[in-house]
Amino acid sequence: MSRLNIILLIVFAALLIWITLFSPDQIARIQSGTMTFFRPFIKASDRADRGFESVNETPMTPSEMRSKIEELERDRGRLQLEVLQLDEILFENNQLREALQYRQRSPLRLRPARVMSRKPVNWYNTLVIDKGSADGVSVDSPVIVPVDEDGAGLIGKVSEVLGSHEAVVLLLTDEMCQVSARLENSQEQGILSGQRGSLRSLPPLKLRYLSKEAETRVGQRVVTSGTGGVFPPDLILGEVTSARVGVIDAEATVKPLVNFRELLDVFVVMRQEEAVPPPASDDQASEIPPGSASSAPDAAEPEAAP
Amino acid sequence: MIYCIAILLIVLVSFPLQEFVPVFAWAFFSRLMLVHTVFYCAALTVPFPVMLGFALMTGFLWDARYHLPLQSEADATALTSAEIPFGFTIFTFALLGSIVQGVRPLFRKGRWELPVFLVGFSVGLGLLLEYVVINFNRGDFRLVPEFWWKILMTSLYSALISPFLLLWFALIARRFDYRLRVENPHRRHTYDGDAF
Repeated sequence: MSRLNIILLIVFAALLIWITLFSPDQIARIQSGTMTFFRPFIKASDRADRGFESVNETPMTPSEMRSKIEELERDRGRLQLEVLQLDEILFENNQLREALQYRQRSPLRLRPARVMSRKPVNWYNTLVIDKGSADGVSVDSPVIVPVDEDGAGLIGKVSEVLGSHEAVVLLLTDEMCQVSARLENSQEQGILSGQRGSLRSLPPLKLRYLSKEAETRVGQRVVTSGTGGVFPPDLILGEVTSARVGVIDAEATVKPLVNFRELLDVFVVMRQEEAVPPPASDDQASEIPPGSASSAPDAAEPEAAP
Repeated sequence: MIYCIAILLIVLVSFPLQEFVPVFAWAFFSRLMLVHTVFYCAALTVPFPVMLGFALMTGFLWDARYHLPLQSEADATALTSAEIPFGFTIFTFALLGSIVQGVRPLFRKGRWELPVFLVGFSVGLGLLLEYVVINFNRGDFRLVPEFWWKILMTSLYSALISPFLLLWFALIARRFDYRLRVENPHRRHTYDGDAF
């Protein structure tokens, strides 16, 4: 090896060491700057992906379209009725709160976000959303989607705020996203997370550290317990598909109820202490109707294993 | 020299193009690692110091775009703030780029079989190294069949596309009189690949 190569190798090693010693703030600034450049490409790539998906859809026949229209009209009528009922419930609920002089508990504040990129990083299950620091999004903010009429389903938490309008969401299917969970209609609690190296479209989740006496049944829902402070309680996580009792504890396999492959619009749960910037007309942080998830997290501590 | 600048531009252009590369869910979320493939192909055609420079720049940009500050245990004993530290890609690019450079004499003699295989192998090995670091941080080692399939498929995409990239690089080298092959006495070249 020539002398020049050796000198260059030493310079390279010195630069590499210097780079690895960057502080998290410096890295965040570098990534934010890089994201400014990549943002248009990420958006264009997502548009291209969606265009490709829509081309792949099978066209409907006229009779199928007719039945679809009828179905949608039926749904519209039902939804109009539900909206009226919900308005009544909301009004009644507010009156009851005042009447009973409940201690003022802040409802969840939601910020709608759109998925910019669904391509995961090599070994992490992530997606990128179009809300960032300018929108009040911060690390560990829970991200949810409406699952059905029962309420909201947790899809993960913000793991990194890339820039003013970009953030990375670590999905529930990743091993690093650990959620304090409980079996519905039960006090049994455990830690729910994905599995390492699980690279299927809808990988099963593991609910660990349940007590040996835990009564689990197939189809039983698993929801967030709210312990730990990161995730609000009663967000839907999935359904139990099987259970196994070990030597000192029990664990259950849980099928997620959110289709992670088809996420488009999601909601970031804003923490109460975060200063929410003045909302835009169609993009404002909205209050979730009481009943679906009642209390906001009160601290930003990570979920702790029991 | 002009050839190296042209290759540098191609490496840079591969970053935005990488955003458009689809992820194949049916193949365990594998995808073509375009940036990595371009880099390893470039490493076959440039001298060692230039390869180091490319590794520094490409690895830095990759980490700036894809680095995730996730740490399994957010405690004071952790050496870095992330499982895969910022700059790790620079290290893997330099390490595996050096290995790729080992078969450069063969490539310069016009034998592409082993270099093409090594490009695919290096991309897979880079992924494997990342996974090993993650496992090391989490305190146990878990290997599932999907993991091997993902690495295999990713390597395969790179190995399949690398001959076309190398062919393109050869055309660029010819355009800028940069000597890639040592066996061509009839052609005059302004730059020798080893005489940077």
